[in-house]
Amino acid sequence: MRDLPASRDLLALARELLLDELLPLLPPERQRDAHLIATSMAIAAREAASKGWQEELTGLLRAFYGENGSLARLAADLRNGAFETSPSRAGAARAILWRLTIAKLREGNPHFLAANGFTQAGLRGE
Amino acid sequence: MAVTALPRSETGLGDRQRALVDFLSEASGADAVEIGRIALLPGGAIQENWAIDAEFDGGRLSGSQRLVLRTDASTGVPSSLSRVEEFAVLRAAFATGVTVPEPLFACADPAVLGKPFFVMRRVAGSALGRPIALDPAFEPARPALAEQLGRELARIQTIRPPRDDLGFLKTVGPAEHIAEFRAYLDGHPNPRPVLEWALRWAETHLPEKLPAVLCHRDFRTGNYMLDSAKLTAILDWEFAGWGDPDEDIGWLCCKGWRFGRLDREAGGIAEREPFYRGYESESGRRLDHERVRFWEVMANLRWAVIAMQQSDRFLLGGARSLSTAITGRRATECELELLMLLDPAGVAKYAYA
Repeated sequence: MRDLPASRDLLALARELLLDELLPLLPPERQRDAHLIATSMAIAAREAASKGWQEELTGLLRAFYGENGSLARLAADLRNGAFETSPSRAGAARAILWRLTIAKLREGNPHFLAANGFTQAGLRGE
Repeated sequence: MAVTALPRSETGLGDRQRALVDFLSEASGADAVEIGRIALLPGGAIQENWAIDAEFDGGRLSGSQRLVLRTDASTGVPSSLSRVEEFAVLRAAFATGVTVPEPLFACADPAVLGKPFFVMRRVAGSALGRPIALDPAFEPARPALAEQLGRELARIQTIRPPRDDLGFLKTVGPAEHIAEFRAYLDGHPNPRPVLEWALRWAETHLPEKLPAVLCHRDFRTGNYMLDSAKLTAILDWEFAGWGDPDEDIGWLCCKGWRFGRLDREAGGIAEREPFYRGYESESGRRLDHERVRFWEVMANLRWAVIAMQQSDRFLLGGARSLSTAITGRRATECELELLMLLDPAGVAKYAYA
């Protein structure tokens, strides 16, 4: 068992300290750097707390392709228009793209997702 | 950032300053030139911009002058044009009545500063995108600014090939852009299926070809200067080339350049309508919204590739810059926008509260 407080709590406190107390002391030309640090900390915290959507993505790819599914294969097939004669396959491929993108942004930039009207959706959402 | 007054503490060309004085004297026909202050202006990842206050004794610039010297940053990524070529594009824009700083002299001789540079007049104002999009002080002026940007863009597009003075510019159409983006993705370790899907859409929806015009290729909020609410300069011509007249429209309107005001689709400053109106009234060409949508897709693809190239400077090049490294994350924002542009049914399915 790790010592407490947990790293997520330390990270949250460190971010508060940075934004609430240190940032106002910085000259204006360095304040953007402080925001970038805070953003990086927030991404790290969200990724650490993530339930691991990569496994679920692997499952989606397996359902789509069978055992030999991978993002690289999907990318190559999409470049070649492999599903353009099959609306159902094209739709299923697009669903993976949506889920992948939303899942990445939930960790990387949930504010951007929300600003675009995506509030609940994610890899698990439908 | 206002650049009309320079901080006194910064000097920066060191032992090259004597050579610069000699160059300015000869280029302007002055008997003597005295440099008062030099300051490196912020914000130049690819280029360095030095603000210079100088006193010219005689010649075509006789008197006090406020100038900007633009040269390559030592750690920059390559741009498509050299500084001397960018100077030629700026001259063409200035001669056409586009709102740009007056270009004065270019120097290709590395013996002067160690690298090529050009000198232009310094204009007042700030180009910082976020305040332009968000500061309430600009609120009443934003629709008129969008309209003016439309007119400026139409004026830029009156510059068309062939031009002897711009013979170095290449024509790049959508097929060439697509090939370039795919070549980049081929060399990247992480597959990007959303980008591949959008590239395939673009490849199969190429718009009807229009006569090539001068494309600025970075015409957007953050690259024009405002003094109070008055447009004083369109900046950063280093990516210019011949291309499709709707390419710059798609770039200015793409979501990546709205600085937090996603609802203001013309560069984060206004609705599209005043921007389109300014463009159409000046150019006499009615915009085809499907065509603009195509170029907005291309803009998002380009933005995504640029974002990934920025983080490559950390991942592959070892650049220890947080700002550069984190920019790669923005590629996924472009991917969401590509999905929203190209799959409206998916928006209805996935964007629920």
